[in-house]
Amino acid sequence: MEREVQAYRQAVRVLPQRLRREALTLTAAEQGEAEELRLRVGRPLTVVLAGEERVLGVGAVQPGELDQLVELASRASLHAVLEQVRQGYLTVEGGHRVGLCGSAALREGKLHSFRQISSASIRVARQVRGVADSVLGKLCREGQLESTLILAPPGAGKTTLLRDIIRKVSQGEDCAAKRVSLADERGEVAALWGGVPQLDVGSRTDVMEGCSKAQGLMLLLRAMNPQVLAADEITAPEDIEAFVMAAGCGAVLLATAHGAGREDLTRRGLYRTVLEEGLFRKLVLIRRRGRERYYVIEELS
Amino acid sequence: MFRLMGAALILGGAAWFGFQASRGLGRRVEAVSEMAEGLLLLEQELELEAPALEVLLTRLIPRSRGPAQAMFRGCLEALDRLEEERFAQVWRRFAEGQVALGREGQECLIPLGESLGRCSCGEQRQAVKRCRVRLEEVLRRAEEDQRRFGRVYQALGLSGGAFLVILLL
Repeated sequence: MEREVQAYRQAVRVLPQRLRREALTLTAAEQGEAEELRLRVGRPLTVVLAGEERVLGVGAVQPGELDQLVELASRASLHAVLEQVRQGYLTVEGGHRVGLCGSAALREGKLHSFRQISSASIRVARQVRGVADSVLGKLCREGQLESTLILAPPGAGKTTLLRDIIRKVSQGEDCAAKRVSLADERGEVAALWGGVPQLDVGSRTDVMEGCSKAQGLMLLLRAMNPQVLAADEITAPEDIEAFVMAAGCGAVLLATAHGAGREDLTRRGLYRTVLEEGLFRKLVLIRRRGRERYYVIEELS
Repeated sequence: MFRLMGAALILGGAAWFGFQASRGLGRRVEAVSEMAEGLLLLEQELELEAPALEVLLTRLIPRSRGPAQAMFRGCLEALDRLEEERFAQVWRRFAEGQVALGREGQECLIPLGESLGRCSCGEQRQAVKRCRVRLEEVLRRAEEDQRRFGRVYQALGLSGGAFLVILLL
């Protein structure tokens, strides 16, 4: 619990003083469970606890406070994180994520920046270590990891599981240690901050973020000589092309994809290629039983 | 004997004032020149990539001199207290503290705080360049002042002292 409370206190450091004081009025137990803080101009600060949003502040959030939030989150260096801001988020120390929205300023039809920020959310990053403990052994043959696809609907915990598998493989826990290269397009797996992964992805992991998965995968393949190549959320044919090339080079593949079950792989054109190319040997399906998650492992080829 | 000593003191004192005034002009030239150099370094760093201000200022401190170095160092330290004071205010405070630059020099610097870290890299580079160009104009005027008035102040000090000595003797 102490670690969760520390994570919360680290996340609220990006808040302007008045809002930070309000955020710290939660009890330690609540701080340990808080998932998100939400700020909306003209409305009081709220906190998301166990999926429910609760009003926390007294005074309304002022536009200047959201500007200050961005300055604090970027350490007065908006230019250095502008690409992230254009995607609508900002990763801060500890891997916490500040989401932004408001009036967009467009340039050549693309989001250039925000003319006015109207809402922000601070998602507290918490690493769940050990989720892959019951899974990893079944993904290995003679101690060697086999190419694996994690398939589940949004919010089921694909990224959490992927991160923990990467960490364990990179550390050589329950399998042979491997050099892992991770294409982390939106910084959700490793959350690089100042060049350092804020979430533990193991000591033998190289991370490429800020570019498309396909670009990242190709660069990692050329530059980092990976034994395992990982990426979160296969969404485009280019991602699959990069994976095909990587498989040809002998790298073990690790990826996640949106889908409820195996039938989605055969139904959706993009994923059919995955099956036809025989890119993955194992399939991990994430299922829920009440609040519990459990994992179903199937052979793909 | 005492008269002679008094005369020497008056002459020396007046000359000292003259030379100090002349040196003041020289110090201003030096300070503006060092600040313009610092801004040129900042511009070049922004040309290469888009580092965070923390990285940028850390790189610039050992390479800059005088008021530029002091300003970069002060701003770097203030990055840890952004919840108390916005960066633009920090920059303004340090710019206003650069007395050696003169009012004109300070006025060139102050607006830069509104751009640094807040715009795209290209826009910041443009803002730094505009500031540097204005500062170089201030430098040219300061050099001209030094050339024109430096000797005048020295001569005025010496001749004023001599005049006082004659008057009092």
